[in-house]
Amino acid sequence: MNLKLPTLSRRDFLAKSTLGAGLVLGAPAVLRAKEAGAPTDDIRVGFIGCGKQHEVLFNAMVNIPGIRYVAACDIMKARVGRTFSTIKSRFDTKINRYLDAEEMLEKEELDAVFVSTPDFWHAPHTIMALEAGCDVYCEKMMSNTLEGARSMVAAMDRTGKLCQIGHQRRSNPRYRYTLEQLIQKEQICGQIVNINGQWNRALSSSQDIVSKPSILPDAETLRKAGFNTGADHELSLDELRHRFLNWRFYTDLSGGPISDLGAHQIDIFNWYLGCQPTSLMASGGRSYFKDREHFDNVMCIFDYDTPQGNVRAFYQVLTTTSSGGGYYESFMGAEGTINISEREAYTKIYKESGADSAKWDNLVRRGFLKKEAAGKAAGGADAIASYESAPPDEYALPGGLSKAPHQPHIENFLDTIRGNAKLTCDARHALESEAPIYWVNQAAESKETIFFTDEHLHT
Amino acid sequence: MAYKDKYSNDLGLTLGMLTLRIWLGCRAILTGIEKYAGTQNSDKDVLIDGATNAYGLTDTVTGKVYSFSNYHGVPVPLYDKFNSEPLIPTWGLNLFDTILGPALILLGLGVLFGIAQRISLFAMGLVYTSLTFGLILINQSSGVAWLGVHIIMVVMALALAKHNRFAVLKKW
Repeated sequence: MNLKLPTLSRRDFLAKSTLGAGLVLGAPAVLRAKEAGAPTDDIRVGFIGCGKQHEVLFNAMVNIPGIRYVAACDIMKARVGRTFSTIKSRFDTKINRYLDAEEMLEKEELDAVFVSTPDFWHAPHTIMALEAGCDVYCEKMMSNTLEGARSMVAAMDRTGKLCQIGHQRRSNPRYRYTLEQLIQKEQICGQIVNINGQWNRALSSSQDIVSKPSILPDAETLRKAGFNTGADHELSLDELRHRFLNWRFYTDLSGGPISDLGAHQIDIFNWYLGCQPTSLMASGGRSYFKDREHFDNVMCIFDYDTPQGNVRAFYQVLTTTSSGGGYYESFMGAEGTINISEREAYTKIYKESGADSAKWDNLVRRGFLKKEAAGKAAGGADAIASYESAPPDEYALPGGLSKAPHQPHIENFLDTIRGNAKLTCDARHALESEAPIYWVNQAAESKETIFFTDEHLHT
Repeated sequence: MAYKDKYSNDLGLTLGMLTLRIWLGCRAILTGIEKYAGTQNSDKDVLIDGATNAYGLTDTVTGKVYSFSNYHGVPVPLYDKFNSEPLIPTWGLNLFDTILGPALILLGLGVLFGIAQRISLFAMGLVYTSLTFGLILINQSSGVAWLGVHIIMVVMALALAKHNRFAVLKKW
C-alpha cells in the first residue's frame, strides 16, 4: 500500500471533512464487503490509541481467530510499548510501534484500524484511516461534536469503507434476542409506555486519573495533539497532562458523563423503539466536582412518538453514587417490564399480574424465558391494601453471553470485512441514535425543552 | 464368665480401634484428594422450541473436576496469610504446600489399611500439629480447636493400637 497522505492538522481534517460531508449527504450508506465465500486471509489490524479502552478491545479480540496484529500507535510511548509487549507475549508477534497515526497509516498495509483515542480525536483518526483505505472500528461516542460525527458518516460514504461504531450492545446476543424475540415477536411488554435507564457510578470510580510523570508525553507533544484546545490561557505542563489523562472532564475534548456512559444506553432506547425522540428536557449540575467543566450528574427525559403511542424515557448518569442498581435500561410496558443490562446480574424481566399467564407459561415451556420467582407481596403492618398493587412475577432470559461483552461486536466487524455479515452499528445508524445525545448538555445548560427537528438530528 | 467378659471387652476395643482407623483414614484421604479439586464451566446452547437458538445464547454449567493442575496444598487465602508471618519461612511454606496433599493421602491409606499403624498415626499427628502451628500464628482459634479434636482421636487410636486387627503390616 503506497499512500501519500497530506500532513493535516486536526482542525484541517475536521474542516475538510465537514465540507465533504455536505456534498455527500443523502448518499446511501455503502457497506462494502468482500465477496461472500471468497477465500479469506488474516485481517491485518492496526491500533490508534493504546489506553484503557484499547485494552478492553484487545482483551475481547484475543479469542477471535484470523487476526494478524501489525502495528499500534499512541502519543504516549509507554502505552505503545505495553501494547507491543502484550501482543508479543500472547501471540509471539512483533508489531511496529508508532507515535504518529499518519505515519502508521502511510507505512503499514492494514485492512482494519481500531480507533480508541479521546473523543475529540475520533473523527480525525477515523477519517484519516478510512481515506487510507482501511475499514474502521471506532469507539463511541463518535465525536465530541455533532459536526465531527457527521463528517465520519460522510467519510464512510465517500470512501465506501466500513465504519463500525463501538455501541457493542447492538451485537450482544442478549440484547438482540430481547428485542427481536421478546419485544417484537412475542410482545411480552405489551405497549411500552415508559423507559428508565441509568448508570450510577461510585465516587471512588469518578476521581481524577493520575500517572507517573516520567512516562507521560511532554508539553510540545500534548499541544501538537490538541490537548490545549479551548483553553483560555497558555497551559502549564501539569495542566496539559491533567487534560491528557482526564480529557473526559473538558468540554472541548469530550461530551462528559452523558456521552461517556449515557450514550451506550440512550442508544438502546432509540434502537429498541426504532425511532428518534421528538423532544428533550434535561437538568445537570456540577454538584460535587465543582471545578470540572462538565456536569457531574445529569438527568434527562426524551419523548418519543411510536406507532404504539407516546413513550417517555428517563435517563440519569450519576458519578457520585453506585447505589440504586448499577446500570441498566428498563422497558416498562403495560404487560411486562424488561430490565436489561450488559451485566447479567442486573437483568430481570417482570410480568404484570394482569398479563396473560397462559402466554407467559407457554413461553417458559418453549424455552423463551426462565421463571425465577412468583411475585411476593412486601407485606408488613404498614401496608395499606387499597394502595398496594399485586407484585409482578420474576423471569429471566433463557441464557447469557459466554464471551467478553465487546467480542460479538468486533466479530461482526471482522465478519463484515470478510463479506459474511452486515455491520450491526455502522456510522450512519450510530449517528441516528447518538444525535439526540449531543443536545443533552445544552438542554441542561439552558433549562429549556428542545423540540427536535431534522436540523438537530440529520445524519 | 471371666473369659467371656475379657473377650467382650477386647472385641469392643478392637471395633473401637477399627472405627477410629476408618474415620481418620477417610478424613485424611478425602482431605488430600480435595486439594486436587476445582470447578470447570461448560457452556451449552440454549434450546428454544427444541432447537438451538440462533443468537448464540448459552447456559453456563459449573461442574466439579479433579486434576493435578488444580492442586493447592495450602488454600490461597491461607497461603497469603502464612506467607506474611515472620516465623514461617517461604521455602518451608512452599515445601509444606507441595507435600501436604500427597502426605495426607498416603498417611490416610496407611491408617485405613493398618500399614505400620503406630508410625502412620504418629506421622498423621505431626501433620495435624504442623497445621495447628500455622493457625495459632494467624490467630484462628476455631481451627486450632478443630485440629485439637483430630489430635485427641489420633492419641486414642495410638492408645488402642494393641487391639489393632485386620492390619496389612502389624509391625511398627
